[in-house]
Amino acid sequence: MEHTSTLERVLRAIAITLVILFFIFPIFWIVLMSFQTNETILRVPPSIVFEPTLQNYQALITGELDTAAGKLEFDFMSNLFNSFYLSTASVALGLILGIPAAYAFGRLKFRGSEDIAFTLLSFRFAPPLLVLLPLTIYFQKLGLADTYFGLIWVYQLIVLPLILWIVRGYFEDIPADIEYAYRIAGHGFWATFFKIALPLAMPGIAAAGLLAFIFAWNNFIFALVLASADKQPVTVGALAFVTASGIQYGQIAAGIVLSILPTLGLALYAQRYLVEGLSLGAVKG
Amino acid sequence: MSIQLTDIVKSFKTDRVLDSLSLGVSRGETLVLFGPSGAGKTVLLRLIAGVIDPDEGRIVINGVDMEGVEPEERGIGMAFQNFALFPHMDAHANIASPLTARRRTRADIEDRVNEVAELLKIRHVLGHKPKELSNGQKQRTALGRALAAEPSILLLDDPLRNVDAKLRFEMRLELPRLLKAQEATVIYVTQDYKEAMALGDRIAVMGAHGIAQVGTPEDIYLTPADTTIARLFGDPAINLLDVVPEQGGGGPEIQLSGARMPLDTAYAGVVGRPCILGIRPETIRFTEAGAPGVIPVEIEAETPLNEKTVTLAATRAGREILISRPAGTPGPDRGTAHIAIDPSGALLFDQATGKRIHPGESA
Amino acid sequence: MSDAAASLPKRRGFRISRRWLPYVLSLPALLACIGILIPFFTAVAYSLQRYRLSQPWAHKWNWGENYWNFLSDSSFWNTLQVSLTYAFLTVGLELMFGLGIALLLQKRTRFNNFVSIMLLMPLMTAPALASLMWKLMTNPGFGILSYFASLIGFEDFRWASDPSTAMLTVVLVDIWVYTPFIMILLLAGLRSLPQQPFEAAALDGVPRLFVFWRITLPMLTPFLLTATLFRVIESIQQFDIIYAMTQGGPGDRLTVFQVEAYLNFFQSTNVGRSAALLMILWAITYVLSSIFIKNWLKLREKQRGEA
Repeated sequence: MEHTSTLERVLRAIAITLVILFFIFPIFWIVLMSFQTNETILRVPPSIVFEPTLQNYQALITGELDTAAGKLEFDFMSNLFNSFYLSTASVALGLILGIPAAYAFGRLKFRGSEDIAFTLLSFRFAPPLLVLLPLTIYFQKLGLADTYFGLIWVYQLIVLPLILWIVRGYFEDIPADIEYAYRIAGHGFWATFFKIALPLAMPGIAAAGLLAFIFAWNNFIFALVLASADKQPVTVGALAFVTASGIQYGQIAAGIVLSILPTLGLALYAQRYLVEGLSLGAVKG
Repeated sequence: MSIQLTDIVKSFKTDRVLDSLSLGVSRGETLVLFGPSGAGKTVLLRLIAGVIDPDEGRIVINGVDMEGVEPEERGIGMAFQNFALFPHMDAHANIASPLTARRRTRADIEDRVNEVAELLKIRHVLGHKPKELSNGQKQRTALGRALAAEPSILLLDDPLRNVDAKLRFEMRLELPRLLKAQEATVIYVTQDYKEAMALGDRIAVMGAHGIAQVGTPEDIYLTPADTTIARLFGDPAINLLDVVPEQGGGGPEIQLSGARMPLDTAYAGVVGRPCILGIRPETIRFTEAGAPGVIPVEIEAETPLNEKTVTLAATRAGREILISRPAGTPGPDRGTAHIAIDPSGALLFDQATGKRIHPGESA
Repeated sequence: MSDAAASLPKRRGFRISRRWLPYVLSLPALLACIGILIPFFTAVAYSLQRYRLSQPWAHKWNWGENYWNFLSDSSFWNTLQVSLTYAFLTVGLELMFGLGIALLLQKRTRFNNFVSIMLLMPLMTAPALASLMWKLMTNPGFGILSYFASLIGFEDFRWASDPSTAMLTVVLVDIWVYTPFIMILLLAGLRSLPQQPFEAAALDGVPRLFVFWRITLPMLTPFLLTATLFRVIESIQQFDIIYAMTQGGPGDRLTVFQVEAYLNFFQSTNVGRSAALLMILWAITYVLSSIFIKNWLKLREKQRGEA
């Protein structure tokens, strides 16, 4: 391995450059676009030299878009807010529901626990529309159709299996003796759960929560089917926005940048948790 | 009785670890559970502590049936083999945990933690997290946590297993004093027979099928229930020789390389029965040729240990025998020598079952 | 009671017996999921019914008719073919690239770690938004990719709007989003392999290609299998990228299962057919996922054992 030829090193460098170019360039280009006016975007040939402008972001934040057909009101910021609200609330609910269950599956091991855990995991792999389409009908009947709560509940389909499986692995890894020692010292079941199990599983809970947030944020199909216009997250909102704003490409780009920024930021900030979370704890990174 | 276990059964999946085990421990007594790993010693402690439940049987502590009593309500102190310190709390918080559970005042807790730390010589590391402690300090912290609330029952699961030899030696001297000072009922698990002998008021020897023998260290050493136990206690190990006692002039006797070794007359019933003769190496001494009952041997090897010298010798029939004498006392180190066996310490076991034959037992 | 036990505070609040505790703890999560199980059974029922939202009066059981009709339904076969093609192309190419990149970045250097973290960015981008990005990049008027295509001689390359290149375009987006996933998994796998066989091979001067085929690849197989199954299950269900890009078009060029089911439900309002389509997709993914879960559990146990 050590004696690499010059040719090989050159080939490697080229390969890595191509890889970085392919995966990073689209994001780079969209960011550039978001700072351009339509005139500079439409230049042929394209150039990375331009006068940067903030007017696209300004338009998005004020919600007043200039289109060919005149002024258009489009409340993109409320989509962003919806994404934040739905993802945060879903993860919070998922953690509240999922952590005790993960503890039951990981530590207490009861009759049928493996089967139930299996079933829950297989939810993750079922076609979402299978559940979503009948749900549209039920939601109409139950009056959940136009509520955040309905969406947050359905988002558990993404969030819960993820939290259950990652956190369960962490609970399994805590030596049982440590919890026994705390009980024997005189602390009750719940005290032990909160003072020992929870703090020791915290890295796993953080990984699960982070990943669940990103998955919830990035979800498209649930909200497309179930969310009314005023509850739409950015993934669905951006699509509608493309149709609405027509050829205001700079604004579209700015919208996309604002929508992917939170997840990219989170991912880069907490990347050490991600690798493990992505493989559901199968591979310790 | 401070702890009374009756007919305890515990299985994991299909593996029956404890089968109808009964055991009593008196108030203030130190009982050592001794046995190989896998004998269920740790399981037994966990059952008493209440972190796992028995499949069958009763556990009574201080007169109260423990069924349905949670571990935190049993008032037990326990130290684990792997220490099981709370990794996110410092040594102080670890030792204080039984006290906080008992809602002691802050000043009270402070006093008691310092007292315990003083006793165990770990005051200077109270602010350290477990991962910053040496193994010996971890072990003392774990012990301190078990002692902190002055529990009337202490369960110590092989606490010296994972510490180095020097510390183990020190603690073996220190622990009996510490335990006596506690006035607690102690169950102490170990795989080290010296620890068992040093610490136990009584020793319960566990085998593959539950408790094989319970008795004082002297009992176990002098009258082991079977050859397995005889071999576990004593270093160098007991000499076990296949023999068939014969009827001699004055009663039963054993022929060893031409020498006659008379047995107690109470062993009359064993004449003609295939037996195993057990002789402790320290009951054999070197002597001059010509005395009655003397056996000629060929010295094969000599191993000087700290406090004793162990000699491996072979009889004419080729049987190997270990002889132990205090270090510094003279003895042959090569060539031919003669040994004399003290018949009063000799043990007889049945060859088929390995069980000890009691004097007076008939064939 | 002993003195120490007596000094313990009495337990307050309700107590749950040890036997029931795990059920009590997992009940809320199970209830939340059962709420989702009900629509699943409803979907099974719908798939066995003649049910069009536009003709509520004709809502009745027709048992296997929806499925039976598929046999002679060319658009169903098109859906099946498009879905399988999509899954095969995306997973195959992503495995190749993912493995290649993982091998490139195998050494634990600061630079390699930095690159692998940067490559997480596409994976963290919502697939629907990634499609929009690529839609902008392939815009015939100003898209940078259209410009590049014209530079190498493809004047007026129409990407997703041309039936002959639509599949290529969405596959490209899928590769962009999901290759990093495979890369990350394989990279973790590669780095967890024991070093001895490689050192021995290096000492013996075994050619590197031979080392790759005979040592690296076999040892990496469990990771490859896990990654493959995981991706196949997701890919055959792909909706976001295709819907955001072309809504299944042009024509029925990209009507994969979930897109077709979505259009059936909301455009043709044919609930029965839509549900039957999804049931078939579910059957496929169920088989794949039960193989996957078993495999993955084994891998997880192994990794834990070695950790």
